[in-house]
Amino acid sequence: MHMTEETETRIFAVKTTAKQERAVADGIYHAVTMDPSFKVTAVISPDELKGYVLVETLEPVARIEELIESVPSARTVVPGETSLAEMGHYLVPKPVVSGIDEGTIVELIAGPFKGEKAVVKRVDSSKEEITVELYESMVPIPITVRGDNVRVIDRGES
Amino acid sequence: MAPQRKKKKMPKVCHECHKVVEGEVCMSCGSSNLTEDWAGYLIIIDPKHSAIAERMNIDMPGRYALKVR
Repeated sequence: MHMTEETETRIFAVKTTAKQERAVADGIYHAVTMDPSFKVTAVISPDELKGYVLVETLEPVARIEELIESVPSARTVVPGETSLAEMGHYLVPKPVVSGIDEGTIVELIAGPFKGEKAVVKRVDSSKEEITVELYESMVPIPITVRGDNVRVIDRGES
Repeated sequence: MAPQRKKKKMPKVCHECHKVVEGEVCMSCGSSNLTEDWAGYLIIIDPKHSAIAERMNIDMPGRYALKVR
């Protein structure tokens, strides 16, 4: 008979209330420390994945459903499991300025120039900052903004 | 006038080891180079059995940030 210890971990997605992902991750951590019979090995809340947290566990899905009953803001466990290969890209977040090049047309989505369109003049990938010039401004004034404060409208010719 | 809503405070994260830190100094590496500008949240509970901890080269349980600016 096969009696070796089950070491294969499963990854489940837990649906959460909007913007409560970190609270749910902390809640699951708290619940597991209160009852160590739940074999949860890791909880991940990637920034890109809104409304869900991922739970890595040795338990079947029914045990995770039981676990999240005591966690506020956790709603349901998504049926089916995922694998490390499938969610591995969340562990290495790509820089926010990737996909933005000189000449790209962007819209500022935060700060005093929110809603303005601008052309990218320079990209600083180490600081994750970009320097833009506003489209409709009479005089070209370079403005440096954070890479996550813009939305790409047109990537231009590629 | 409606009361001003208090902004939720972000815990600080160590620049060196990406660990979420309570207080002003990182307990695991002793660094005081902390930041509130981070994203992505990872809690390692059992690093020995976790494939994610293995992939991230983490051998200590705790709370980590995936991205630190």
